[in-house]
Amino acid sequence: MTTSHTAAAAGHDDGHVHHHYTTTGLDHRKIAIWTFIGSECMLFASLISTYLIYKGRSIVGPFPHEAWTSETGQQFHAILDIPVTSASTFVLLMSSFAMVLALQAVQLRGTPLPANPTWWQRSQRSSQGWLLMTALLGATFLGFQAYEFTSFVHEGLTIKRNLFGSSFFTLTGFHGAHVTAGVLWLMTLLWIDRSRGLQGKNDELLVDICALYWHFVDVVWIAIFTLIYLIR
Amino acid sequence: MPKLRLRSAAPAFLLLAVLLTLSACGMNDYPNSTFNHTTDYNTAIDALWDRLLWWGTLVFIVVETVLVFTIIKFRKRPGGPEAKQIHGNAALEITWTVIPALILALIAIPTIKTIFETQAPAPAGSLRVQVIGHQWWWEFRYPDLGIVTANEVYVPVGRTISFELTTKDVLHSFWIPQMGGKRDLITNRTNYMWFTPSDTLKSSAWNGFCTEYCGASHANMRIRMYTVQPDEFESWARHQASPAVFNPLAPAPTPVVPANGRRAAAAPADTTPAPSSGYIFPADQLPAHVIPQTPIPAGITFDDALLAGGDATRGATQGFMLGGCIGCHAIGGVPGAVSTIGPNLTHVASRHTIASGLYRFDGPTLARWIKNARHLKPGAIMNTIGKGEYDPILKSTMTAGLDDRQIADVVAYLMSLK
Amino acid sequence: MATIAAPTHAGAADYGEQTGIWSWITTVDHKRIGTLYLWTALSFFLIGGLEAVIIRTQLMKPNMGFVSAETYNQLFTMHGTTMVFLAIMPLSAAFFNFLIPLQIGARDVAFPRLNAFSYWVYLLGGIFITVPILFQVAPDAGWFGYAPLTSPQFAPGPNIDFWVIGLQILGVSSLAAAFNFITTIINMRAPGMTLMRMPMFTWMSFVVQFLLVLAFPPITIALVFLLFDRFFGTTFYAIAAGADPLLWQHLFWVFGHPEVYILILPAFGLVSEVLPTFSKKPLFGYNVMVYSGIMIGFLGFGVWAHHMFAVGMGAIADSIFATMTMLIAIPTGVKIFNWIATLWAGEIRFTVPMKFAIALIAMFTIGGISGVMHSSAPADLQQTDTYFVVAHFHYVLFGGSIMGIFAGIYHYYPKMTGRLMSEKIGNWHFWLTFVGFNLTFFPMHFAGLLGMPRRIYQYDSGQGWDAFNLMSTYGTYLLVVATLFFVWNFVRSRKTGAIAGNDPWGAATLEWSIPSPPPEYNFAQIPEVASRYPLWDLKDPAKTAGIEHSHADSMTITDAHAVPVHEETERKTAKELGIPMPFPTAKPLFTAVGLVTMFCGLLFLRNDMFAVAMTITLTGAAMLIGGLYAWLTAPLE
Repeated sequence: MTTSHTAAAAGHDDGHVHHHYTTTGLDHRKIAIWTFIGSECMLFASLISTYLIYKGRSIVGPFPHEAWTSETGQQFHAILDIPVTSASTFVLLMSSFAMVLALQAVQLRGTPLPANPTWWQRSQRSSQGWLLMTALLGATFLGFQAYEFTSFVHEGLTIKRNLFGSSFFTLTGFHGAHVTAGVLWLMTLLWIDRSRGLQGKNDELLVDICALYWHFVDVVWIAIFTLIYLIR
Repeated sequence: MPKLRLRSAAPAFLLLAVLLTLSACGMNDYPNSTFNHTTDYNTAIDALWDRLLWWGTLVFIVVETVLVFTIIKFRKRPGGPEAKQIHGNAALEITWTVIPALILALIAIPTIKTIFETQAPAPAGSLRVQVIGHQWWWEFRYPDLGIVTANEVYVPVGRTISFELTTKDVLHSFWIPQMGGKRDLITNRTNYMWFTPSDTLKSSAWNGFCTEYCGASHANMRIRMYTVQPDEFESWARHQASPAVFNPLAPAPTPVVPANGRRAAAAPADTTPAPSSGYIFPADQLPAHVIPQTPIPAGITFDDALLAGGDATRGATQGFMLGGCIGCHAIGGVPGAVSTIGPNLTHVASRHTIASGLYRFDGPTLARWIKNARHLKPGAIMNTIGKGEYDPILKSTMTAGLDDRQIADVVAYLMSLK
Repeated sequence: MATIAAPTHAGAADYGEQTGIWSWITTVDHKRIGTLYLWTALSFFLIGGLEAVIIRTQLMKPNMGFVSAETYNQLFTMHGTTMVFLAIMPLSAAFFNFLIPLQIGARDVAFPRLNAFSYWVYLLGGIFITVPILFQVAPDAGWFGYAPLTSPQFAPGPNIDFWVIGLQILGVSSLAAAFNFITTIINMRAPGMTLMRMPMFTWMSFVVQFLLVLAFPPITIALVFLLFDRFFGTTFYAIAAGADPLLWQHLFWVFGHPEVYILILPAFGLVSEVLPTFSKKPLFGYNVMVYSGIMIGFLGFGVWAHHMFAVGMGAIADSIFATMTMLIAIPTGVKIFNWIATLWAGEIRFTVPMKFAIALIAMFTIGGISGVMHSSAPADLQQTDTYFVVAHFHYVLFGGSIMGIFAGIYHYYPKMTGRLMSEKIGNWHFWLTFVGFNLTFFPMHFAGLLGMPRRIYQYDSGQGWDAFNLMSTYGTYLLVVATLFFVWNFVRSRKTGAIAGNDPWGAATLEWSIPSPPPEYNFAQIPEVASRYPLWDLKDPAKTAGIEHSHADSMTITDAHAVPVHEETERKTAKELGIPMPFPTAKPLFTAVGLVTMFCGLLFLRNDMFAVAMTITLTGAAMLIGGLYAWLTAPLE
């Protein structure tokens, strides 16, 4: 009967990671991020359901899609700005694309460049570049959100104003907080890449779970954009 | 072995308990029983309940008996048989999945039928009663009869009563156990419920309760419902719709100019309390369970001797204003007394209880209630009116307010509002 | 059942483990964390029980006047909150922690430090939500806090703030643990242990983790809305803005109904371990037991509005939820029958855990029957918000969950401590509990149907409820005595109980193949499992001849280092065996303190103490981020 376990245990590839046997062959963190995303689905489903339940039930305006005049004669126009939000949605979608490329760059790390590489083949390997691009596009989206929120407040829609304000700002605020957390995560990965370089199975996993989270946040935005902005 | 005897006795004992209790559920011993058939509503529900009880009892007996039998028969004994290594039995498992499914279907179908029957719109010609919940009292309005009253509700037998339920503050729930199921009062919503008291019911009084936790005095938010004969109800309703019978503050009636042009002298203001002219459920016929037994909490005193000398006119013209009562209570015909914050007092003396069914309506109780409602009913929104009384919510002693003599006047006034 | 060496009692020191308070504060060992959960949860169980004793004393007689309305309302709120969130759920967590890795043949959970974090957050959250009652500002809107009673308009004091924030804290603990256990069960099973070979406790716990992951977010959001209303003036439950109180109810019960399955399924799992062991035959219909557990979890998300039959959702909604509720009775009933069939033709030994397990079958049946009675919506309108429903849920939660948990405690105490609990004292505990429990709760069926509403601090005489209330109170006092016997047994047996050895009961699953208490590393060698009952395969092959077995060359899950199932009795340290152990660390505790501190800061917002609130929250945030950083950058082992 063997008594020594570690000697035969898979070696220390990078840093301190032991490759333990797993039932599925997947890393624990991969499975954990999916369970986390499962809970997040229910979180956003509850927020979106609340918005939809309260749709059309605010007693006072401003309202999302129609103009309103208050009892004192104050005029409010339809507050949602579809063209601007379409632009920010596009930016977020592009950030998911950048995220895919960032993951690919880490996966390509250590593989040799082909002879006479094109600019694209070179840029595909720039994990720092694509991580930065994802973070920048995410931050741009957040900039759009900040602009939108402040202009809404300016126009009379605050989180306290009515059911629309409360449910809208809470829902999009939670989403924005998730994007912010994602941007911070990306910056952390970028910092690690700059300091020691991201390479190998463990680092690919770190970028992979960040990518899963980022894509999820993007999909949630698609749902929000469709249900809140596009559908009247 | 003692444990086996107890175990085998258990299901038999429980069954016996169930049967005994069923037989004992007489109206007198259990005055809030949900099993009686006094309305179409509770008759329908009870029909469902009977099915549930019989199936439930059957399943109970079968399952518990098999369980007890099994643990006795297959207990480990010296020289007993070895355990049989059985892993499953498809036929058995299918059977005991299908049979419960069938039983449940036999429950589901009448359930759905009853749901639709009892939630259909109320029949035409129903008597509309609006129930508006407040912390911690009930406002009742009969919109077609022009009646606004509180805490005690009269309904005629043999006619469908259609309740429209809502609340001005938190959630409440309207339940008269002897009449039928409950229905919640939800803010910003109107709920509907109806039932028809059986026309064979003789005039009766019933207890009702708030059954959705609504804060400090949820336990004290009680209802009295009186199911009365149609002519009694007519009399009661006509009277309730009239303004206060005693009203020193009533504006003088416009003088009629007679044909000869000479104005008659203005009629003097009414200063004598008039007797009640509408039906109320006779006090001497009230069953014991609708008469509140709640003791007045210790720590409040009132000189009951003052009550005899209470002046109703003074109470109406001074006390009612000085005490701030007019700020919350409406009295029909009294100028300025139109607030709906508190119960309508136009005919308060036609009620048998006060504080939402918590205490009896009598002079001494009324005096103490006025003096310090919050002491008698936790959380009560009504101000502490007695001068020198400690207000448990504000946590301070009232320096202004009415003294006992003034309160006695107000009591006399209220007792005149029959 | 013969072991290789005569069992003697082993302590942590024998295995080269640390001892002393600091070792408990820095532990990341699932067994120790399970022990921490157990002791803490039992303490909260006693607190919740004390609250119940005061409640029942107040209700002993009409117009009793023992406590004020305000105190009573805090008591019944805290009794429910304590029992659900601080007692039963963490008692289940104690077993998840202690047992799951042992049952699946793993050395720990997937994320040991996250595991410790979950415990510390629970402890701090439990203290946070309990301490207010000492200052008479405990939550007082019921354990389910319906809006708008909880809104700032009707609950201006700090009571509800404690409730909202406390529950959010506890939610973090449960969610983190759920992520951990799902990953553990999916990814750390010993070779050969397919999902359909997992022990029933692990299976039921697996379903529960999914329920936690999916059910907690809706209540998190419901609480976020309430928190925002109270602290930031939003309008989610504000009457004047046209808010709908049913929003709270729907969100709460979408959580609340799966929550009751979270409360019962682990107890079901424990019963499914105990019954076969003491019947000396396998669980009847293992496959169906697994599928019915999954069905209950799944259907459990489709019945929530049966808590809302009185709110007026309309005939169609009422009918759908009534039918779905009846449907869920089927997989639940099937379990009862399968258990009885497990007992049938067995050789039943009436140990204390077996008594509790059988009691669960008997009592849960009653609770299940009253549950079906509730499912018929019109009938429920006479039952809901009365003592009939109080009877129902105590039969399923006490007669079900608590009985099952006691079965689990008596059954697994030897494994945890190396000593058996006293059967004699255990029998006193059992019988006093059984009688006391029925005396307390059976009369409530009658009180309810005879018109007694719930959540009332006083009732008048002459209503027909006096006798039932008196019986319930006497039963409660009997339960107090019963619990004292349990506490005595639990505490005393650690020093004086009979030595247990690996497998005192003759059980079937992997946790019984290693010493009691297990060494830090659990298994010196990861076992390779060939069937559902690995230990019976080893010790009593005749028992398992009838089920399928796999052989090494046909297994699809493999690990080169695993060896066939065997008994381990040697006492070597992890170092001697060359097994890398995770480093003990206080970082999870530090991070937990940071998180809870952030939440504490919120408390000061409503009193316009903005600067204080910000200071506390930012300090907490700094601790949280610092702790997380240190934690994530430190190696596990």
